[in-house]
Amino acid sequence: MNQFIGSRALPDLVYHRPGTMDDLLGLVKGIEGEYRVVAGCTDFIPAIRGGKWRFADGINVVDIRGVKALSGIREEKGEIVMGAATRLSDILVSPVIREKAPVLADAVSQMASPQVRNTATVGGNLCMASPAADTAPPLLVLDAKVAWRTADGEETTPLNKFFLGPGATVLPPRSVLTEIRFPAPGPDEAARRTRMGQRTAFVCSIISVAVWLRGGPEKIEAARIAMGAVAPTPILITAAESVLIGKKPNEATLAEAAKTAASNIAPIDDLRATADYRKSLAETLTRRLLAACVGDLA
Amino acid sequence: MKITVHYTINSKACDLEVDAGETLLEALRNRLKLTSVHRSCEEGECGACTVLLNGEPVNSCLMLAAAADGADILTTEGLMRGDQRHPIMDAFVDLHGMQCGFCTPGLLMTGYSLVRKANGGDLDEATIRQSIEGNLCRCTGYMNIVKAIQEAKRRKDAGDWW
Repeated sequence: MNQFIGSRALPDLVYHRPGTMDDLLGLVKGIEGEYRVVAGCTDFIPAIRGGKWRFADGINVVDIRGVKALSGIREEKGEIVMGAATRLSDILVSPVIREKAPVLADAVSQMASPQVRNTATVGGNLCMASPAADTAPPLLVLDAKVAWRTADGEETTPLNKFFLGPGATVLPPRSVLTEIRFPAPGPDEAARRTRMGQRTAFVCSIISVAVWLRGGPEKIEAARIAMGAVAPTPILITAAESVLIGKKPNEATLAEAAKTAASNIAPIDDLRATADYRKSLAETLTRRLLAACVGDLA
Repeated sequence: MKITVHYTINSKACDLEVDAGETLLEALRNRLKLTSVHRSCEEGECGACTVLLNGEPVNSCLMLAAAADGADILTTEGLMRGDQRHPIMDAFVDLHGMQCGFCTPGLLMTGYSLVRKANGGDLDEATIRQSIEGNLCRCTGYMNIVKAIQEAKRRKDAGDWW
């Protein structure tokens, strides 16, 4: 096959597309040599072309998109369950997400481009474990859990414990991420998110922030704050929760919580922004989001 | 590894042998000579390689040819009716929705997909700009592209073939 001029060729792949979960798990269990589990491939292909990943010819690529059970969004026993291979564009138009977790749809609407969202998956976004993964902060504040399967069984872990570092997760070898689930938020809960980037479309976030509150205008009963691109992984910032819980959500409380959150992150200077700028944004954006959530609860 | 895939391309059934490490962009350009599908950034940033996969715009550079097996694929060639330009192409020509033309096939596919799905009255500028977020144009500043897509919708509503 003639390559385009200046293009880094993909290696010769051994492509697998199992059609059922059992076939998928059996394949991954028995596969010999190097392999990668893929779905949309919107990170996989640029990672090879850009030289971030190098594979020898003959690497096995296991495409999970043939397994129907891994796609789709449903509500089940008070939980919202998303298949790992659910496309970002399916999240955007899902009536369940739009009604129960608009905070997630809001985050997805600013990810990449419409073309990429028509291919990229939520599980892929989490498994790539970018510190700036844009689905992570809203899912963290929604108290999401992720489930994976091997040929021998299933395991579930809170998303908060899933990321280990840039590009690294707790997913064991020969496992496949299957589901992301979170409790369907009730009427006394509110969640908001925002992010800062060089422009709206198709940029890596300078910072992304999500907050979640439960309670009413007189008292906050529970709170969660999560951020992306301020640490080696997307993080839940628990230090600020105690500032909020049990308090009346007035301006001073929200400001103190935002300040606490911003002092518990460790951003870096990089080509997108300085650490100082990120800290400043973290405080301001958190304060605004908290105020917006309090407005939603009123 | 060679894989035989089956596509419906521009309404024609097609069996094709591809390399497993080949992208849909490579298969469309190199094997099927559908050269309206432009290769540019090859990392999904620019949208020049946009095609419709089962009616939805995707970057063909970010998809393995093997993963598109069974898909219905539409490229700009497929918008033509014989030698006759599609109304959205005419709108781009009439309103100068292009300068160098490199991004044009991608914008035509994204614009076509938007207009085809759109109901109701005129498309507003914000909707159009959001839906072409994934298509970079370095010449026009987008003004005339937005106007051309708006005009294409009017022509569709006025009964022009679509």
